[in-house]
Amino acid sequence: MNRTDVAPSGLLAALSEAGLTGRGGAAFATARKVEAAHRHGAQLIVNACDGEIGAAKDGWVIEHHLAELVAGAQLVAPDARRIRYAAKRDSATAQRLRAAGLPVLEVPDRYVSSEETALISLAHNGLARPLTKGEPFVQGGRDSHGRRIEPSVVLNAETVWRVAQIADRGPRWFRAHGTPAEPGPRLVAISGAVPRPGVLETEAGMPLRTLLAAAGGLADGAEVIGVSGLSGVLLPRAAATGMRWDSGDLGRFGGSIGPGILHVWDPARCPVEHVDDLLQYAAGQSAGQCGPCMFGLPAIAADWHALSTAQDSRAADARLERRIDLLPGRGACRFPDGIARFAASARSLLADHLAAHAAGRCPHRDRSNHAA
Amino acid sequence: MPPETTLPLETVAATATIAIDRVLCTGHGICAHVLPDQVSLDEWGYPILDDTTAELAAARAAARLCPARAIRLRTPG
Repeated sequence: MNRTDVAPSGLLAALSEAGLTGRGGAAFATARKVEAAHRHGAQLIVNACDGEIGAAKDGWVIEHHLAELVAGAQLVAPDARRIRYAAKRDSATAQRLRAAGLPVLEVPDRYVSSEETALISLAHNGLARPLTKGEPFVQGGRDSHGRRIEPSVVLNAETVWRVAQIADRGPRWFRAHGTPAEPGPRLVAISGAVPRPGVLETEAGMPLRTLLAAAGGLADGAEVIGVSGLSGVLLPRAAATGMRWDSGDLGRFGGSIGPGILHVWDPARCPVEHVDDLLQYAAGQSAGQCGPCMFGLPAIAADWHALSTAQDSRAADARLERRIDLLPGRGACRFPDGIARFAASARSLLADHLAAHAAGRCPHRDRSNHAA
Repeated sequence: MPPETTLPLETVAATATIAIDRVLCTGHGICAHVLPDQVSLDEWGYPILDDTTAELAAARAAARLCPARAIRLRTPG
């Protein structure tokens, strides 16, 4: 394979025609990012952090397609000295990258630390905390405190791998996969209560049932399927097994393909308690920069906990509903938006279960007791 | 009569678009007093932007008075 002969204009046309969008979750047009990166001579940070809960595909790309990934990175940032690979500190992915002699940006193991601008901050010897976005950092600029930020672009590892594939095989090959709205092959990580968790090569529009079957099918009694981790939504089993994995079908539940994660919830655990744990975790993961996140996330977690333990349930539910609306669009990053989406989805899907908790009982325990 | 004198007042009144730097904002809440039609405060005292467009002089006052320097203004054109 010889990609050094790909002219930048040819690459941009191919990416544009292919319709490649970012595979880290935001689904922004990659051609536009790469065009801006070329124009400004931006440094490239390849995000291989698998930052979302349940994410595994970035590590999979590093493990199985590293040579193509490196080739793709050089198409985005022709000067190899301007490329770094971001991976969670002490992860197998970081070790693999280092063993390959690649420059690793070691990222602390916190939820928001792998967010795009948190990586840009870290790459400038700052803390791995999100920056306020004004003009895109691909053209360079300053952070809130006046620190200079050099032109920087962050692309997800799968995205960069796809750039290399499109340069190599052409946009027509790419568009033969997926749907017109969400073209191309893509990866999905399937975990939780399935016999064979792992990363699958698939495409948008696949029946969810087919994806779950490839992981060995749903465990007996599994009722809840999580999409896109803490920034996503929950699906009930009956709907999930009848729908397609694309943003049209997932959108009816407020979700999207996002960073490519399906997690089948453990049928042995009460889902209300599971949400409780996840919201408590989320509250502890705020970078503590933006007020609505710093105060809103613990408040929402406390509301859910009160609901789950039948303390003052009616008032707690009213607070939860109101506070979910207070979070979106009011942080430097989209973490509070994601948690609001997740909490709203859980509140809606588990409404009956929550009502039972409010009455002092848990349908899950009732069922387990019957089974025992 | 020259055409500009017939323009309705609102099209000539100078306005600014307000944005809040959430990293800098520490919830003093002065913006809600200066721009009561645009900004309300949440239960923790942090601004909710109900409308991002404000009269220029008031928007400038809010930006100047913000102790955290967290208000960003953009003027049209």
